[in-house]
Amino acid sequence: MPAYQILVLGSIVPDPLQTLEPLTTPQGPGLKNEAMLPHVLDPWAAHALYEAASLVAKGAASKVTLVALGPKAKLQQVMMAVGQKVPFELLALDGPASGFTDAHEVSARLSEAVARLPGLDRSALLLFGGWESASRGAGVTLQMVGEQLGIYDQFFGVDELTVEPDGALRILERVEGGKHQVSRCAGPPAVLGWATGNLPEPRNNPQVGMANMRALLPALQKASPTPAGIGGVRFESVVVPRVTRETRIVKDQSVDEIARELVEWIRKD
Amino acid sequence: MTEKTAPGPIAPPSRQSLDVDIACVGFGPATAGFLTTLSRRLADASRPPLPSLASPGLPLQVVCYERADDAGFGVSGVVTRARAIRAAFPDLDPAQIPMAAPVREEKVLYLVDPVGASRRSVTLRAADRTLRAFHGVDHDSFELPWTPEFLHKTEGIVFSIGQLMQWMAGQVMAQGTVQIWPGTPVAEALIEGQAVRGVRLLDQGVDRQGRPGAGYLPGMDVHAALTVVADGPVGAVGRQLDQTLGMPGRNARREWAVGMKLVVDLPEDTPLSAGTVLHTFGFPEPEIFGFLYVHPDRVASVGIFVPSWFDSPTRTSYRYLQHYVQHPALWRYLQSARLRSWGAKSLLESGRRGEPFLVGDGFARIGEGSGSTNVLTSSGVDEAFATGVQLGEGVIELLEAQRPFTRPNLETAYVTRRRQSWVEQEGRVSERARDGFQRGVVTGLVGMALSGLTGGRASLGHEPPHPADQVGSVETFYAGKIPAAEVARIRADCEKRGVPLHDALMDRAGWPPIPMDGQVLVSQQDALLLGGKVQAPPGYADHVVFLDPELCRACGKRVCVEICSAEAIRPGDAGTPAFDREKCVHCGACLWSCPTRLSGTERVNLEFRAGAGGLHSAEN
Amino acid sequence: MDTVLLLTPAEQDGTLPRAAREALSAARAAGGPVAVGLFGASTGAATGQLAGAGLARIFCAEDEALAEPRYGTDAAAATALCRASGATVIVAPALSRVARIAAGVAHRLGGRIDTHVTQLASDGGLSVSRWYYRQRIEARLTRAQRPWVLLVDPGAFPAASFGSGAAPGVERVPVELGPELKRSTVLGQRAPTSGEQTIRPDAKLLFVAGAGWTKKQADGQPHAERASELILGFLRASGASLGTSKSLTDQAGEGQKVLEFMTHLNQVGQTGSTPRHPRGLSTCCHGEEPHVVGWRFIRERRVVNLDPACGWARGKADVLYVADAFAVMEKVNALLAAAKPEG
Repeated sequence: MPAYQILVLGSIVPDPLQTLEPLTTPQGPGLKNEAMLPHVLDPWAAHALYEAASLVAKGAASKVTLVALGPKAKLQQVMMAVGQKVPFELLALDGPASGFTDAHEVSARLSEAVARLPGLDRSALLLFGGWESASRGAGVTLQMVGEQLGIYDQFFGVDELTVEPDGALRILERVEGGKHQVSRCAGPPAVLGWATGNLPEPRNNPQVGMANMRALLPALQKASPTPAGIGGVRFESVVVPRVTRETRIVKDQSVDEIARELVEWIRKD
Repeated sequence: MTEKTAPGPIAPPSRQSLDVDIACVGFGPATAGFLTTLSRRLADASRPPLPSLASPGLPLQVVCYERADDAGFGVSGVVTRARAIRAAFPDLDPAQIPMAAPVREEKVLYLVDPVGASRRSVTLRAADRTLRAFHGVDHDSFELPWTPEFLHKTEGIVFSIGQLMQWMAGQVMAQGTVQIWPGTPVAEALIEGQAVRGVRLLDQGVDRQGRPGAGYLPGMDVHAALTVVADGPVGAVGRQLDQTLGMPGRNARREWAVGMKLVVDLPEDTPLSAGTVLHTFGFPEPEIFGFLYVHPDRVASVGIFVPSWFDSPTRTSYRYLQHYVQHPALWRYLQSARLRSWGAKSLLESGRRGEPFLVGDGFARIGEGSGSTNVLTSSGVDEAFATGVQLGEGVIELLEAQRPFTRPNLETAYVTRRRQSWVEQEGRVSERARDGFQRGVVTGLVGMALSGLTGGRASLGHEPPHPADQVGSVETFYAGKIPAAEVARIRADCEKRGVPLHDALMDRAGWPPIPMDGQVLVSQQDALLLGGKVQAPPGYADHVVFLDPELCRACGKRVCVEICSAEAIRPGDAGTPAFDREKCVHCGACLWSCPTRLSGTERVNLEFRAGAGGLHSAEN
Repeated sequence: MDTVLLLTPAEQDGTLPRAAREALSAARAAGGPVAVGLFGASTGAATGQLAGAGLARIFCAEDEALAEPRYGTDAAAATALCRASGATVIVAPALSRVARIAAGVAHRLGGRIDTHVTQLASDGGLSVSRWYYRQRIEARLTRAQRPWVLLVDPGAFPAASFGSGAAPGVERVPVELGPELKRSTVLGQRAPTSGEQTIRPDAKLLFVAGAGWTKKQADGQPHAERASELILGFLRASGASLGTSKSLTDQAGEGQKVLEFMTHLNQVGQTGSTPRHPRGLSTCCHGEEPHVVGWRFIRERRVVNLDPACGWARGKADVLYVADAFAVMEKVNALLAAAKPEG
């Protein structure tokens, strides 16, 4: 089996339950108290990381490197949680993780950093990531990094990757109607933007954590400043819409009456 | 994220182990003090390196395991004089730490009851009348013209402990010499005889009863020459040591409180400025003390303490907190505020009388769980930090002298330092400061003043009994307000609906319904989700366990259900409460509220174990 | 003024996808003359359907190799169409086939891209609206750079109306599709293994089942089998699409005896999806904010919940029926079944 080199592109996002409020900064829109919000590794990128680590564990890949662009201090915090999950190396880039940064700028920075990685072998390269982030949520950054690296086999909404005996990649992508498209790719290089995949979340493992920290902490300390702005975008308004309805609370109707009302409503055109 | 059954191994995985030099249980102010001290020494290239004995060839291996999903989630606070903290960080500028502000103004307010439902003694009701008649009250409150010195936070700082801990954890980790692992609960210490040989982490991939399921990973054994136990007042390892090794002399943990608070955004036009500190007493019940601290950027922390000597069996925090914020003296500031965060935690208020064995072969204890909190001045954070620094200095001494972590060595290196420090001295003064509260609120306040002013030589009252023995009956508590027959009717009705008693009782006692506004007055579950962002990862066992279901059935009181900060403990089938671990914030109030003692012991029928998850807000 | 290209693949049978008709409404809102670019193995049927659409030009890229969705060949064809048209704004429906390539195409054209566009306005220059942070923050933005590629989600715009008139002549765009673009082959599609197709993006109604369905009911027992029957029965009778809350999805993951036809693909809100349906009916669900974020694009909302103080009651729903969902859904299913002979 060929030994793939897997790079996972993924950044950090506020923990899903946090309350978010936009504000204006000189650099463009941002989140109020962003530095105070607990962050996690972007969920779909995290799935990609675990899938990559699973390939390493099976011997299909030699190692996995997470390439993360985000504020150094926040990256360090998130590594304390993610670092216990699976073994990986880190290329940390010290810059903004805001969803309002321009994907074109971010993808340019990421592909520059990837191209500079020592020992990069395009013919063995699998570029993983989440198919969309939980911040910008556009689903474009990974695709453009792939383009910039000249990779024209790209798959998105991936839930499964199987390596066939001849080294081909069998890939399942989410398509319309809850179905999956099954494709066969001759081999790397390829880009895979993951959805949820099928693997359970790995358990917290102190041995993995301790082993990871030897490389993760120095990588964080070496994180090079990587600015990325809002590009050529002019934001005319950035708001949390306040939609409050006048809820009619029905307490005294019988089950029959409620059912009739609902069926009428469902049938309305 | 969903759990799927991965193709499992043929045989169940066996328990793995790893060796480190020093393992810390819990990351709070105490461990922050310890690791700040130790990590700096380890990073100091001008001093001889301290080699690892566990992994020869490598530098000293120091790890800290924190239960909560991030450093700074499990804590709450505070206004502190920050003496030890500033000694460790001489250039500390509150502006560097989010939500920190130097104390500018301190006030103590006595709150008169505008609702008329609180259970006031004759003395207090007379005091209310006198105040109204002769002095007048401003917004139903009376500002004490003079407060004793010991209550002042001279040169103090208002902090969000969550933010302070995140900041300190970041500083510590950046040194690159120690590791802090969140999301890693420690189940127990590995005890051999009287010695501690390390810790065992919690099993993962188990069902709620702890039976192995998908992705089962038995908790790793971490062997360490020194285990630093800093898991707070309700931490599982600390209590395990107390049970196994006993407590020194007649020391016992008898006095507790649960602190519950909101962090709010004040309205744009608020007159309050950063660094304002308000302490209150008198409302919603005389036993309940409250506070309002103002952080920078129009953020405020507001909360109450519900103590174990508040003997109502239906004592509850959330509803009382909602009445508290509506008191005119506070509502004038909070009326258009918005909820940002919410949290609750237990405080151990036994002081030195709750001090366990501070050291033994292979272990040392620091922080609130080691009885460092000063119950006179109500301060604990700086004291905890100081004990961590003291242990850090002692450990460095022992490492440099290549002496083992035995009890005598740790006594000399750490305990002696602690005994000679201001933490000890001030702790002695405060030792009996709160005893008066056993007799009543007014006696308690007088007793505190007496203790403070006489340097601890005089005090009122007596040592508290076990909190389980203190819980009264609903009928007695509401005597004069609700006839016993009605109490019985309310009980039966709540039983049928499967809800706790406190709301129905408080309604009947004259507490008005809460006018929910979705801003600062929200439902308890909204406070959990929108405020505390409470969540728990799957794959762990229930960490609140009812030991003998018969005892639960026989218990008439179910204080655990009433006091639960998060409605995680609810009435269950056939008399045994039900527990929802996804809601639990690990405050531990259930632990000291259970009124059923296991005969002959200090233990109660409810076990509060280590668990994962809880609050996901670092703003508390 | 911008010139606009509606970029879309043809369906397998050569016809125009419905989402493309919606994207045409968006394209018209961009304010300039609209052309269409079609790619696929055969596009004849689609061009026929475009009579009366008021299009300025029609471009087609046809090739055997474009029979199946594939990045390499689709991106090349789409790029060729965009270049041939010279359009400064490219609007496309966010079908999976298009989303797979749109950013790559934008990059090749030296342009910029914005996806999940919910609104377009062209007074005083083109501006678009899109959501950030999983539908929690909405922004309106403009870009000066061109070409500007815009992906619009199915259901975000109404299907364009067509008048009478002939379609302009088809301009064939040649595409170079060398072997290096065909390293991947499509083997087919796979339906979900759960057997019951419960996700129906085109349904008029979203039916959300919350964790309350598997909790103990008034008799102190859970009734998961009955819950399954009622939910599946309703889906079959109404044609609704099924959504679930995170807590119910998590329960399924922990192996509890719950509703086996549910998977994480059904999850609405939080880390799940934000589906678009004109109506949504929520049952046994508390209506807490992180879940309700997923309801952002559900226009009319009704709820059946025993708790009158649940999150829905405070402005998140139009009507809250305080009632037992088991009883209500049983009656609803009976009424729907009784009426069937007419429909």
